[in-house]
Amino acid sequence: MPAMLEVRRLRKVYEDASRTVEAIRDISFSLAQGELVCIVGPSGAGKTTLLKCIAGLLAPSSGSVILEGQTVAGPPPAMAVVFQEYSRSLFPWMTVHDNVALPLKHKKMKVTRREELVRNALSAVDLAGLDTAYPWQLSGGMQQRVAIARAVAYEPHVLLMDEPFAAVDAQTRADLEDLIRLLWHRLRMTVLFVTHDIDESVYLGQRVLVMSHAPAVVMEDVSIDLPDDRTQLETRSMVRFGELRKHIYSQIQRAKQGWRPPGM
Amino acid sequence: MSDTGPIRPIRSLTIMLTLPAALVTTWWFISAGSQNFYFPPLQTILQTFLKVWLSPEALQNVIPSINRFFVGYLAAALLGLTVGIPIGASRHVRNLLEPMLEFFRAIPPPVLIPMLILFTGVGDEMKTLVIVFGCIWPVLLNTVAGVRALDEVLAEVVLSYRLSGFARLWYFVLPGASPQIFTGLRQSLSIGIILMVVSEMFAASNGIGFALVQYQRTFAIPEMWAGVIFLGIIGIMLSLIFRAFEAWILGWYHGLRRSQREN
Repeated sequence: MPAMLEVRRLRKVYEDASRTVEAIRDISFSLAQGELVCIVGPSGAGKTTLLKCIAGLLAPSSGSVILEGQTVAGPPPAMAVVFQEYSRSLFPWMTVHDNVALPLKHKKMKVTRREELVRNALSAVDLAGLDTAYPWQLSGGMQQRVAIARAVAYEPHVLLMDEPFAAVDAQTRADLEDLIRLLWHRLRMTVLFVTHDIDESVYLGQRVLVMSHAPAVVMEDVSIDLPDDRTQLETRSMVRFGELRKHIYSQIQRAKQGWRPPGM
Repeated sequence: MSDTGPIRPIRSLTIMLTLPAALVTTWWFISAGSQNFYFPPLQTILQTFLKVWLSPEALQNVIPSINRFFVGYLAAALLGLTVGIPIGASRHVRNLLEPMLEFFRAIPPPVLIPMLILFTGVGDEMKTLVIVFGCIWPVLLNTVAGVRALDEVLAEVVLSYRLSGFARLWYFVLPGASPQIFTGLRQSLSIGIILMVVSEMFAASNGIGFALVQYQRTFAIPEMWAGVIFLGIIGIMLSLIFRAFEAWILGWYHGLRRSQREN
């Protein structure tokens, strides 16, 4: 099966007059259609840089990102991004409805179709009836739901999420994790989820890519062999969950101490 | 939240009007029976006010003034926005132009009047241009600052959803910079009123400023005082209209600020 999204030998070096910083050394991996893959790594590993390169928001220094056979050179229409800072990623001057509808205004479609997408997306994230509210009238978790609804309504083939739940409380976070699993099942999207939270990556992903310390490489591609039907209570108390968690945790510890795969 | 219902606006209105009412009353009693030619009783001034400024003849001066004010103010606002947005969007353009803009802003607009008389004559063009020249700077510089301070995360959202050109301007740049733009528009409003009057004091055949100078030269002192009061009222009315417009456009911003304060 051809890959939905492929990252080929991606390298990113930030350069300005006074210094150069190598954020990503050499990263390659691919996602099949419909996969949910998490990227986990120590803070400062260059996760956000990687995600921005994939999203077409940053140009890689070398290597390439290929989405459905096309090299990414700018934000592709088949991709949507959910950012970490929910309070800054919604338009405070627009209602919830308009925030979700805005990206659709530039896809050629009938108004009735657009309204249907907005309505479905908002009810999928459990925010039906809040159309006319403004983002700043909502709690943090609800604001992030709006951002998710906006991404979902856009009907992307690949959904990128950059530590989307890092700034919400633990309970809300668990709910949002389940929401992502639910939406992923229902809409059959390909999801790439970046997080620094090991438990979250194991709970959500089919695969977890463990990143090294900067300059980033992939240390290990861990397959998560947990049952597909996951619940916060049962999945997290499974022996296998603990093993996977422990394994990734020790990899991250090694990464922090500067261990790198041979030759990288 | 202790203040609820209709009590709060009534109370704040009372507080707002207390001092002006006290001052007017004091003026009224101190000036009553005044024999000083230059400081007539307030009663006389108000009678003159009704006679002179609320008469059909007054419109011959009021309408041209207001007309020039609106044309000049709106042109300045439009120009300030069109020039300010590209400057704010690009660091290079900003570095190039900002020192020059600050220089122009530092020129007091009335000093341009003699020069503008030479180039454009004594007609409406000159007076409107003076207003434009004075009003443009606060709008322009605040627009530059507002566009420059647009949120980076939101800019990435805009980019990732492929909003560009007019959509980017209309849904992101303008609303994002609007709180700053309105700060500029508010500053320009009072500058505009001042320049409206001043420009009519030089070479004019009508206008409120022209009338004031005429009254002063013919020693029509109560008329002159009444004109000053009339200008004050025009200023307050324009500012009230502006505030209503601002509250309508920036409703989201005030709500956002309130919610940030409460958290």
